[in-house]
Amino acid sequence: MVENLLIDIVHAVVPILVVITSVVAIYLKDLLAATIAVAAMSLLLSLEFYILQAPDVAIAEAGVGACLTTAILIIAIRATRRMEEV
Amino acid sequence: MLKRDFAAVIFFTVVAVFFVFAALLTHPFGSPDNPVMDDYIIHNTQTEVGANNGVTSVVFDYRGFDTLGEATVLFTAVAGVILVFRRLKK
Amino acid sequence: MSMGMSKIVKTVSSVVFPFIVIYGLYIIAHGHLTPGGGFQGGAVVASGCAMLLVAHGSIWTIGKIREKQLSILESTGAVAFILLALLGLVFGTVFFKNFLVGNKFLFGEIPGYLSRVANFNTGGVLPLMNFAVGLKVIAGLFAIVLVMAYATSTFKKGEMEDGKR
Repeated sequence: MVENLLIDIVHAVVPILVVITSVVAIYLKDLLAATIAVAAMSLLLSLEFYILQAPDVAIAEAGVGACLTTAILIIAIRATRRMEEV
Repeated sequence: MLKRDFAAVIFFTVVAVFFVFAALLTHPFGSPDNPVMDDYIIHNTQTEVGANNGVTSVVFDYRGFDTLGEATVLFTAVAGVILVFRRLKK
Repeated sequence: MSMGMSKIVKTVSSVVFPFIVIYGLYIIAHGHLTPGGGFQGGAVVASGCAMLLVAHGSIWTIGKIREKQLSILESTGAVAFILLALLGLVFGTVFFKNFLVGNKFLFGEIPGYLSRVANFNTGGVLPLMNFAVGLKVIAGLFAIVLVMAYATSTFKKGEMEDGKR
């Protein structure tokens, strides 16, 4: 019974953290910090997939979303400007 | 400007109501509406395909054309990126 | 980033890199037994290669492997995947027919119903397709990151945006 309550709490907390990190990534003006926020959102999303018993999607999300997308975005930021213009 | 704000509030209220009704009408967690095909795949994938992992047997055997389309999408993306960035470096 | 990072980062990434590659190849090879498959394991291995690229710089990496070789590897994976599907049309009945299941010598054993024993010699054509898709995903994703990093490695800050090129 305690395990079920714990699983329900995790099911409620992790999507709220995903939404919070997404909103933070939108509102940040520093694009490097926004990229790190997107990577954190992707990692939390992979944790959510794992606790929903889909480990295939969790591995793919952690590999592509948290590592390769971050690398590509940081390479793009290095070629352009770091701060967002208002 | 006030009229546009009013229209935006009405629009988002209608969309939110639709989302709430759609969330109330979904089936409960872990019990799909029409489980005939799921039960067929779960009960026959070890004797027909011969693999213990049902997800991989669906991806590569039962729904192979989907994987072929995914491979085509990845190939097109790589070809486009290499086409754009190859001549940029002198 | 084109000259690479400090010596500590280079050493640590060189030590960690074989473990990541072994883990990704394990996911690819055991795709028909454990969660994962060609795409997931390929994404893991490509992440390890991207870590090595970021640590050592794109000039060093482009001296090790060029994007033309990666493109050839990716095309090899795609051709192997489609060829396996066409062999299903030749030896079996339809496209994507699993023609290797039930034979005696290669990946042909059939586990019983509700069997929990992880026998590697099962799955028919699934392990071969996992290897083909894994090769394709490794080469494709690493080619994207490598080409983008090498093409923008000599830019000054904001050079591309000001229209000087």
